[in-house]
Amino acid sequence: MKLQSTLLVAAVLSAGFYFAQRSGMFRATPVEAQTSSQVTQCEALRKHGDPGTTACYQALSRSRDLGLKAEGLYGLRDYRNANDAFRDAVKARPKDANLKVRWGRMYVDYSQPGDAADLFKEALEIDEKNAKALYGMALVASDAFEGNAADFAEKALKADPNLVEARELLARIALEDNHPEKAVEEAKKALDTSGEALDALAILATVDWLDDKPGKEWIDRVLKINPTYGEAYSIAGHFFVINRRYDEGIQYYRKALELKPDLWSARAELGVNLMRFGQNKEAREHLEQCFNANYSSPLVRNTLKLLDSIDKRVETFTTPTTVLKLDKKESALLRPYFQAELDRAMATYEKRYKFKITQPVQLEVYPDHGDFEVRTMGLPGLGALGVTFGKYVAMDSPSGRPPGQFHWASTLWHEFSHVYVLSMTNHRVPRWFTEGLAVYEETAASGATDWGDRLDPPSIIAMRDKKLLPIADLDRGFIHPTYPEQVIVSYFQGGQVITFISEKWGYDKVLAMIHDFADRKDTVEAIQKELNLKPEEFDAQFFPWIDAKYKKQVDGFEDWQKQLKMVSQAAKNKDWSAVITEGTAIRDLYPDFVEVGNVYEFLANAYLAKDDKAKAMAELERYSAIGGRSPRALEQLADMQIEAGKKREAAATLERLNLIYLEDEASHDKLGKLYTELKNPNGAIREYQAVLAAGTIDKAGAHFGLAQAFAATNRNEEALDEVYNSLEAAPGFKPAQALLRELSSKQSNDKQSAPKPAGNVKQ
Amino acid sequence: MRTLILLAGAALTLHADSYFLTVAGLGGEDQYEQRFTGWASDLNKLLKSEPGAKVDTLSGKDATRANIEAKLKALATQTKADDSFVLVLIGHGSYDDLDYKFNVPGPDISATELASLLDKIPAKQVVVNATSASGGSLSTLQKPKRVVITATKAGSEKNATVFTRFFIESLRDPTADTDKNQSISVLEAFRYAEEKTAKYFETQKRLATEHAIIEDLGKGEGVKAPSAENGEGLVAGRQVLLHLGSVASIVNDPEKQKLLKRKDELETQIDELKYRKAAVPQREYQQQMRQMLLDLAKVQEELDK
Repeated sequence: MKLQSTLLVAAVLSAGFYFAQRSGMFRATPVEAQTSSQVTQCEALRKHGDPGTTACYQALSRSRDLGLKAEGLYGLRDYRNANDAFRDAVKARPKDANLKVRWGRMYVDYSQPGDAADLFKEALEIDEKNAKALYGMALVASDAFEGNAADFAEKALKADPNLVEARELLARIALEDNHPEKAVEEAKKALDTSGEALDALAILATVDWLDDKPGKEWIDRVLKINPTYGEAYSIAGHFFVINRRYDEGIQYYRKALELKPDLWSARAELGVNLMRFGQNKEAREHLEQCFNANYSSPLVRNTLKLLDSIDKRVETFTTPTTVLKLDKKESALLRPYFQAELDRAMATYEKRYKFKITQPVQLEVYPDHGDFEVRTMGLPGLGALGVTFGKYVAMDSPSGRPPGQFHWASTLWHEFSHVYVLSMTNHRVPRWFTEGLAVYEETAASGATDWGDRLDPPSIIAMRDKKLLPIADLDRGFIHPTYPEQVIVSYFQGGQVITFISEKWGYDKVLAMIHDFADRKDTVEAIQKELNLKPEEFDAQFFPWIDAKYKKQVDGFEDWQKQLKMVSQAAKNKDWSAVITEGTAIRDLYPDFVEVGNVYEFLANAYLAKDDKAKAMAELERYSAIGGRSPRALEQLADMQIEAGKKREAAATLERLNLIYLEDEASHDKLGKLYTELKNPNGAIREYQAVLAAGTIDKAGAHFGLAQAFAATNRNEEALDEVYNSLEAAPGFKPAQALLRELSSKQSNDKQSAPKPAGNVKQ
Repeated sequence: MRTLILLAGAALTLHADSYFLTVAGLGGEDQYEQRFTGWASDLNKLLKSEPGAKVDTLSGKDATRANIEAKLKALATQTKADDSFVLVLIGHGSYDDLDYKFNVPGPDISATELASLLDKIPAKQVVVNATSASGGSLSTLQKPKRVVITATKAGSEKNATVFTRFFIESLRDPTADTDKNQSISVLEAFRYAEEKTAKYFETQKRLATEHAIIEDLGKGEGVKAPSAENGEGLVAGRQVLLHLGSVASIVNDPEKQKLLKRKDELETQIDELKYRKAAVPQREYQQQMRQMLLDLAKVQEELDK
């Protein structure tokens, strides 16, 4: 997954495995100590998979007691009526904390964590030590992969040491953090409290299954307690999915549904995961079943809505090795550029990783970021730019974000590194490694130092505050961040770890580690085997290395911030001399900073104000070379380079812009003209075709440019077609008329000089 | 026909006069005040480059209702039927479901008052109301042979507009000259600005708060995309706003009259064929079109000798 470093919300949502979290799969819907024995009885029946469960809840749903009625409807999964009943009950008993907790739990099950959290908070306002409310808060935080989930669970256990669900949740969090031994420890503690802790048993089975062990001991115990406890397999499905072992995840969801066909959360996850792999028909069937059963959570609704429209909007282009899916409204514009980068990335990775992918890979590009989020996560709200599901990659289109907000080619290369690494390891690779390698490859494999994310302020602050994580614990930074920017910092750190290994031991060691992970070694084992270091020994070398590498930026960060403010103020005051003096002084303190308000653009503007175009151009050239992405600044640079007669450099600048933002027809037109002048007709053809695909109002001009380019490559028939297209739009367009006369005369001459057919010779 | 019209228009410019009045209304805030007067000033400069154009601008404290009325009343006596007059309104407008008002220092001026003043001017008219809520003025301002452009499709689109910016840009950007006849017609300027405005909102990922429309039949609703199908745009296509180069020099050369006549015939035939495109088999359409375009290119070569 490629995140946008400037969108810190992404960090809060923790790198994207939010999607598999709304399943309710860990929730045994426990009974309050204070609630009626009737509810307890129903819950006990449910826990043991007793066929009388439904009848029990039906009886409750007919109760005159509003709370019992709500429980009954909730137990029957009649969420809408249960919601009304809970509302009425809370109105009648506004100080009943437990009632609010139960209502909140229903919202958790129904994938409305915001409403759930509100109710848990209200319950805690009434009773600050309410263990179930604290556990509810832990559930909500855990669903959002927030770092404080474990804290809430611990608080709940402090309030009620026998709260087995809280212990089970700690086991789950540990396993998500890729600490199976800790997960086992917590699960066993839960079993010590209750021998029938079904989710603890499911976690233990999952730990085994993830390690390709049978897990029979645990699943047999589950099924002995409850022969229809599909949740156990659903829990496994969740962990296989978050470990990117999607095929196996799907199989576990199917097993869950075999045991319990009305486990709607599992059916919804199955549908969403099938859609990720293009199995839209079956995905729709499962999601519609959920919807028709009144399980119309946002995940189900959003995904069905997307499925309704996606097939009508998408155009598919296939080659023997790739499937490219683009929105019809921009496919003509995007296809040449995306196909070229896709082919180049695959050829490069095939060579680099010494690995050939046998089946076609698929790339989907979404102009609507909301659609992309639903496609990948089922819900909107994530700051991801691209996501990989095995051999399927989905990403934002350059038109899906404001211009310049991301480098689409870099994102594409990032995701395709995942495609190879996941294939090579059969999806058994730690998150830190595959993300770190993908970050590293954005510049290393592409060969373009201006690609990828720049060193960002959160990473500088993390280095300054010694917040980087030990290598053995780095996955936690991706899954359960403890501060908002930690996901972004972890991407940075992952990339730096790979850089460090590559520089110190060589890139072959990185490749060897991929194979180690394929052989089911974990991080500690791979580091030990390839680098002959224990993880703490690795950290002892890595941290000084990274501290030295970024010493200038870390030490100078505060001064740089202060001085940048002064530069900004000087620019506002049009004190150009001060901008130049102050700006030049701090520019190289933190050269990677190319976001809005960067020094390069301040300096360029100051030089322009002083009519020193050469220096202004030099600043923007620095900005471009270091990875600046503002289309406006890059266009400005290209114009300056054209004016200075630096046509090749201008073309290179506009080529860079093409990898960032493709929708600007004026830039394509400019590049088309430059390529015509630079005798690069094939480049000109691509650019003028882009001008037309961008929907230019100057169709005559674009067709004429295309005609000239075709003529330059002696593709005279196509040139004639294009010149006619140009003149049809503008019959009096003199340059096109001249070209038409020339091409037409050439065509006549060719016909006259063509050899006569053999039959005529005989005559 | 487009070129024929252009030549007619170009010829007319030799004998008829072009009048322009730009009014930048009340900004209310500094940023709008500066933006509106800046746009008016830019437009003023561009239009003054048109040979013989009589360009006038009201902005800031001068843009009062009294001054607008005085300028329009003067034009009612100064202009002739062959002349052309372009009124551009920049700034904020409002609409109360009954009438549109252009916000100016002092009392506002309503669409009804503007229409009444414009009706007295004999020249061919173009009204570009680029203000917020300008769509609310269209039904009042529209009249046969008068081109009315509004930056918004309705009086309910009340946000400050960006249409003006792109309308002015169309007079600077050669790509706005889509028929490559070295002049920007009102229609070309509208299409350019409408397209760029839509792209602006799309690129900024913002909900579009303005949708420009044009109307030149004098009846019915304004349209976003004028075409042969909806009949809108013919008058606007004839009205040249700005010449980018000299196109009129050959018109008066007697030796070229025969060639010019042939050129006009071909251009008319090309335009007619375009309008019949849907009814003509594709292959036949292409053959005829290509032959005429080639003939036209050859005639042009002779004319240029």
